[in-house]
Amino acid sequence: MRIMSKLKEKSTTITSTTTSTIKTNIKSKTTTTNSIEKTSNFIGAILFGTAFATRLILFQFSDITQILGSRVEIVTPVTSFNRLTEGLYLFDNGVSPYDGGAFHQAPLLLACFQLLGYLPSFSIKLIYIIIDLTLAYLLANITRIKQELYKDYPRLDIELDEINPWIISGLYLFNPLTIASCLSQSTIIFTNLSIILGTYYSLKNNKSYGMFWIAMATYLSFYPLMLVIPTTFMFTNSAKLKGKNLKNEICGCAGLYIGWLTGLLILSYLFVNSWDFLSATYGVILLLPDLTPNIGLFWYFFIEMFDQFRSFFLVVFQLHAFVFVVPVSLKFRNHPLFGVFMLNGIMAVFKSYPSIGDASLYLAFLPIYSEIVKYMRYNYLTTNIFCYCSILSPIFYHLWIYAGSGNANFFYAITLVYSTGNIILLVDATYSMLRREFDIWNPDLKNCEITQK
Amino acid sequence: MKRLERKEWMDFDDNNNNNNNNNKSTLPHYNYNYYPYDEKFKETLIIKPLSDGKLLTHFQFSVKLLKKNNKEGSFKHYNYFPRAIGQIVQSYNARELHLTFTQGKWNYEDWGYPIVPSAGTGVELWAWLRKDGKLDKNWKSLTNALAGLFCASLNFIDDTITVQPKLSFKPEGSYNASELFDNAELRSGSLPHENVCTENLTPWIKLLPCKSRSGIASLLNGHKLYDSNFHSMSIHVRPFCEDPECINQQLEILQTVSTVVDPVRVSGKRDWSLSQVFGRQLSNACPLAEESNLEIILPENGDYKINPEANPDNNNIVTRRTPDVSGNNEKIAVYDLKKAQLVNSDLSMTWNEDQFDYDLNHTKPLVFAHRYFTGYGQERGGIKVNIFNKSPNISIPIIYYDVIPWYLKLYLYTLKVQINDQDVNSDTDNPIKELYYQPAVDRFRPNVIEAKIILSPNSLTTLSINFDKVFLKYTEHPPDANRGFDIGSAVISTISLNNLNDLNLTTFRDCLSLNNNNNNNNLEKEEGGIRIGCLHFPIRIYTETLLVSLPTPDFSMPYNVITLTCTVIALFFGSMFNLMTRNFVALSDNNSVNNDSVDNNSVDNNSVKDSVNNNGVNNNIVVEEKIDKIE
Repeated sequence: MRIMSKLKEKSTTITSTTTSTIKTNIKSKTTTTNSIEKTSNFIGAILFGTAFATRLILFQFSDITQILGSRVEIVTPVTSFNRLTEGLYLFDNGVSPYDGGAFHQAPLLLACFQLLGYLPSFSIKLIYIIIDLTLAYLLANITRIKQELYKDYPRLDIELDEINPWIISGLYLFNPLTIASCLSQSTIIFTNLSIILGTYYSLKNNKSYGMFWIAMATYLSFYPLMLVIPTTFMFTNSAKLKGKNLKNEICGCAGLYIGWLTGLLILSYLFVNSWDFLSATYGVILLLPDLTPNIGLFWYFFIEMFDQFRSFFLVVFQLHAFVFVVPVSLKFRNHPLFGVFMLNGIMAVFKSYPSIGDASLYLAFLPIYSEIVKYMRYNYLTTNIFCYCSILSPIFYHLWIYAGSGNANFFYAITLVYSTGNIILLVDATYSMLRREFDIWNPDLKNCEITQK
Repeated sequence: MKRLERKEWMDFDDNNNNNNNNNKSTLPHYNYNYYPYDEKFKETLIIKPLSDGKLLTHFQFSVKLLKKNNKEGSFKHYNYFPRAIGQIVQSYNARELHLTFTQGKWNYEDWGYPIVPSAGTGVELWAWLRKDGKLDKNWKSLTNALAGLFCASLNFIDDTITVQPKLSFKPEGSYNASELFDNAELRSGSLPHENVCTENLTPWIKLLPCKSRSGIASLLNGHKLYDSNFHSMSIHVRPFCEDPECINQQLEILQTVSTVVDPVRVSGKRDWSLSQVFGRQLSNACPLAEESNLEIILPENGDYKINPEANPDNNNIVTRRTPDVSGNNEKIAVYDLKKAQLVNSDLSMTWNEDQFDYDLNHTKPLVFAHRYFTGYGQERGGIKVNIFNKSPNISIPIIYYDVIPWYLKLYLYTLKVQINDQDVNSDTDNPIKELYYQPAVDRFRPNVIEAKIILSPNSLTTLSINFDKVFLKYTEHPPDANRGFDIGSAVISTISLNNLNDLNLTTFRDCLSLNNNNNNNNLEKEEGGIRIGCLHFPIRIYTETLLVSLPTPDFSMPYNVITLTCTVIALFFGSMFNLMTRNFVALSDNNSVNNDSVDNNSVDNNSVKDSVNNNGVNNNIVVEEKIDKIE
């Protein structure tokens, strides 16, 4: 409360108190002169170069992929590179990889890595680095498009500058979670790439590509199914501006999405010649037969669950993850990118096999909406929780599994704290977004006590 | 009911065999002379001093049943063949059945190969079942029936344990070539954690024609039997050919008990006597037995004396080939209990030495293996198998068979082969010639590795593979969760060197002795015939069972976990629900409510805040109510 009132004080002092109409503070972008752009691009080049070098150097430590690739916080049964290797090995030797309990990843990933197998072994590492850099580059582009879209959107008087898109890239590239996830060669990076590409093309109003990449993300790890609705809003929003028929737009999106997804599934079927992969990938994601610990809420809950209630809670938990899709998308129908951020965050916490790779993706979206940070109430708390979890989770896991001096509850407690931290961050971000909207549209109420009703 | 049937059967027989009528009056129920070709019962006790001073005693009881001419009703009448087993075999359509209860580990290096292939610790069951459309159901029923019969947990052999080996466990009975494989399938399962005790022995003894009342079975004393370094108890049911074309088939049930006792532990010497080993004395042969022998396999060297002495003149000392790879001829002292050679005398063997000295240079078997876990922690690990070939110049083919339960997730790509600690890289050097791998499916079926491996001469072949330990639901842990889970033995099937030239051998002593010593044993001569079943890698070597500890959850926590996790989820759901469904409103706006404390024109912000804070909740409610009224 105190922070808020201070904020209001600030805004009152900065703006003149007499204004009662909505102030459409159009910030002209003309300030970006050529010289500034040049330095900005220079910063970008340095950022990417450093990020590339860091990853390349870290990959030189021979065991780093093995060590990180076997950490439960970083890889899960559905993203582990070891399991991908096993699946590939079985596939190469004529055993169906989906006929066993080890491999739960999509067939096209198998095909992709089979092709990569012909290249020298370092090329796979190189590809991971390049994908990570591409992700960062696309994030910067998404930021630019977003800033372009919001150019005419009303804003608060105190918000002076737009964030530099390269900062978004930098925050993603140098996020320790991202680096760890990349070095572990977790296949979550392919899902992340698909999500980002889907978002990027949707923002660019390229329906076919946008829907293809969302379908691809869904195909790879199922949960991105949620993103169909906010990305459809991206298309309808721009269609609304152009005065097109919304119904056609929605049907087009849905049709394209279903078409692409079916295409991918059929392609997979042709590749592995059976439908076994459906139950081995999506079945595992939904039904959770593998209870390997991760940073999510599912594993310990279902280890400890009484048998007769297992299916009930499984349904409840999975539904809970999906139940927010419609309300979040609708609430933020004017800010579909924010909807994408929120849903990514929800996925990162409430999916059945979350890893820090998921968190790194949604955290990358947060600074795009840097304007809401001022409204967030628990920044200090959430930052601390992230640090606290990063340090304690490996320690507690070690105490449980190796030292034997702790038990499962230690690690479980940390995953609870981690989830709580994410939840607080997400709720806080939602609150801030809505609160800021309220302030934008009700500048006259800026000195009133605001409550929810 | 049973008695009535037998009576009718006897009457029927009386008409055909009038010349046997005089015997009927003396032994009305159990005279096998009535059915000279229907059933034969043979009992043998083999005693073998082992190289490390221990003593192997091996009981073997076999009943053969002629199936001739009554294929339909072959199990209508039971004389010696145990009815319980007969009914199980018949109703579940089993062609071959092998059940072994074992406790302890057979020490191949010191003891050589066992007389019948010993099984790994626990219970092992494998059966060839006829394909009749409900084979898997039959297998399930079979395990349940045997579980009831032997008071063992065999009913726990479910899908997660059952395996269909591809290369190992070939049929051991004899068949004509056409029926060998086409109409039957193999099912196998083992329970390494099963404890074997008198409760299993008692039903086992009940299957014998004489129970333990007379004959060598009277030596089966539970107190002594289980006070041993190793004991194994088995039942093998298998068909048996009568003639070379295998038109007439017999069904044989072979029951064995092997124990390894340690006389050195008691006295410091190797000396033993029957009364010392079994706590009982041998009285006479089982009257139903056609043949009742006690055989002592004589050590090659050493100054020893057997009392009463076997008489070489009376064909009492014979020479036979051992069943193992070495193929040595062994001298055996045979006592025919039918001739009452041992009545009222306690058979004993004494060595002329003050104290037993362990022989460090005893001959080891050619192929033996050890298996162990590698790695630490409860997250992942590895399995390593060392297979030794001690033959100086012969490459020996083996079949390696390993069943790893689903809760160890194997990574086949980590399978590594080393020969004498050198990595094998090229395909031509790879000793694995064939590899069958069945990956596990969680809670459904185990991992199976079967490999045909050629062991190069005088080598140590090492296989290693890595696995992840699976995190089990708390209900899937046994009550003693922190004890760990038993992983059953790996089985190495190999061929004896003799088999390379002479392929008519089985592991079983009678099958062996038959081919080599036709002149020495008249009774065994009668069983001549082609034994196709003998061809397949007859020696089985079982490795150690392993104990793996899996990560355990906190078993006292279910309610706490449900509560805490649901709280976190509710925290999110509640907050989001709140944000999604409720809108922001001002507690009051400028021109509607007459409330100075929130009027931003009249009072500065600090005082607004203060007044709200001071009045606390009540004030807010009042203001909200006012807004409500206005609206």
